[in-house]
Amino acid sequence: MTERTIKVDYVPRVEGEGSLQVKVRDGAVEDVRLRIFEPPRFFEAFLRGRKYDEAPDITARICGICPVAYQMSACHALEKSLGITVDGGLRELRRLLYSGEWIESHTLHMYLLHAPDFLGQPDAIALAREHPAEVKRGLELKRVGNRILQVLGGREIHPINVRMGGFYRVPTLEEVSELRPQVEKALLLAEESVRFFAQLSFPDLTEDYEFVSLVHPKEYPMNEGEVVSSEGLRLPAERFEEAFEEVQVPYSNAYHVVRKGRGSYLTGPLARYALNHDRLSPRALDLAREVGLGKVERNPYRSILVRSLEVVHACEESLAILERYRPPPKAWVEPAHSPLPGTYAAITEAPRGMLYHRYRVNAGGFLDEARIIAPTTQNQKRIEDDVRHVVGRSLDLDDPHLADACERAIRNHDPCISCATHFLDLTVERQ
Amino acid sequence: MHEERMLQDIRRKVEEVARDNGATHVRRVALWVGALAHLTEDQARARWSEMTRGTVAQDSALDIEQSKNLDDPRAQSIVLTSIEI
Repeated sequence: MTERTIKVDYVPRVEGEGSLQVKVRDGAVEDVRLRIFEPPRFFEAFLRGRKYDEAPDITARICGICPVAYQMSACHALEKSLGITVDGGLRELRRLLYSGEWIESHTLHMYLLHAPDFLGQPDAIALAREHPAEVKRGLELKRVGNRILQVLGGREIHPINVRMGGFYRVPTLEEVSELRPQVEKALLLAEESVRFFAQLSFPDLTEDYEFVSLVHPKEYPMNEGEVVSSEGLRLPAERFEEAFEEVQVPYSNAYHVVRKGRGSYLTGPLARYALNHDRLSPRALDLAREVGLGKVERNPYRSILVRSLEVVHACEESLAILERYRPPPKAWVEPAHSPLPGTYAAITEAPRGMLYHRYRVNAGGFLDEARIIAPTTQNQKRIEDDVRHVVGRSLDLDDPHLADACERAIRNHDPCISCATHFLDLTVERQ
Repeated sequence: MHEERMLQDIRRKVEEVARDNGATHVRRVALWVGALAHLTEDQARARWSEMTRGTVAQDSALDIEQSKNLDDPRAQSIVLTSIEI
């Protein structure tokens, strides 16, 4: 054979990777194992020995989609060591920042990762060819979410303007007035999104979820609240580990988190919605009624609708904050004292669900221990349960179609795993 | 972590191109590495022979052009430029 040089010009992609092993015996599912290969990242280990005020920026690097959640959970936990309470205008700015993240993260999930599943398209690129107006709407909405992060956080991804007690600088009135019309437009796009997603055809399915989320008496939860379960649990966020535990499974590099004595549960939009429905913004509530969404939604495929309602809520909340905005006299609250040694924990609501941080601070203000439990980890076992049910219902499918059905079940919940799910390596052992 | 995934994707592409061209063996693989890419020449060489074992790219030579141009639009990327079969 003659030697040939073939020009390729291919740029490789960084993708996650997962595999699914299914065992079927006598026509029934015996075992389903979702394996995540991603290597450990050791964030908890290299936080040890770092100064307490480095935690928000270090942990933000855990996720490029929801860095604000990491900054918020770290700040809320460690501000307790400083005797800081953030309220008034600074508290509102934190909610605005978080709203920006919900808008950009949810929109990414809805339009680029989830919507193709309902419109018969393999991915967002193909979707853009068939439905260009919808994809443009999604990208415009995401752009506004990113813009909020840029104005408040200094940049769209991994913001750099968050600190203990508030911000390094707060936006000027000019910056806010530039942002307002963009968020007004985003609210309209978000409403159009809800109506568009409501027309999709959803598989008819109800899952028996235990929902767990923060619940706040006055607002739809972002930064504060108690941990509440649909099955009767209620406890302060800092006592999370009394009721929940991380469990290692031998077949995956990802932890599972279970409610002690019960098992899997679901955190994220479906849980927040079920436990906080009445505290959604007025237009989000009206739209929920308009599209026929009840107070609780247990069909995981319809999570795209709930997510879109949360985007409406985040836009409305942002707008209200921007309209009230007067630059606070100081961009941050000064600590009442040096960090007191002790253990401090907090939970905030990342777009994908509860994000728990716990730190042990020593007398010098350095971290002796850090524990971070991300929503992806908390939902891992519940997603595996969903996949098990999908497999049980779809045993007549050939392997490629079964893999597709399983990937869809994962994309219902989590954009982080979704990166991996287009590469789900399915092994079915039929006996 | 990202470096490993990128190399795996390159190997996958090399196998695909070889298969599409009816090749049973790949002799040489050429990469262009941007100045800001998350991969170094050492890392690539250390992993390539290991990760291509048992594939059509086993024992293939790896040519690496390391760019120093920070302003190149692809400065953060790696490009699989060509393969020789």
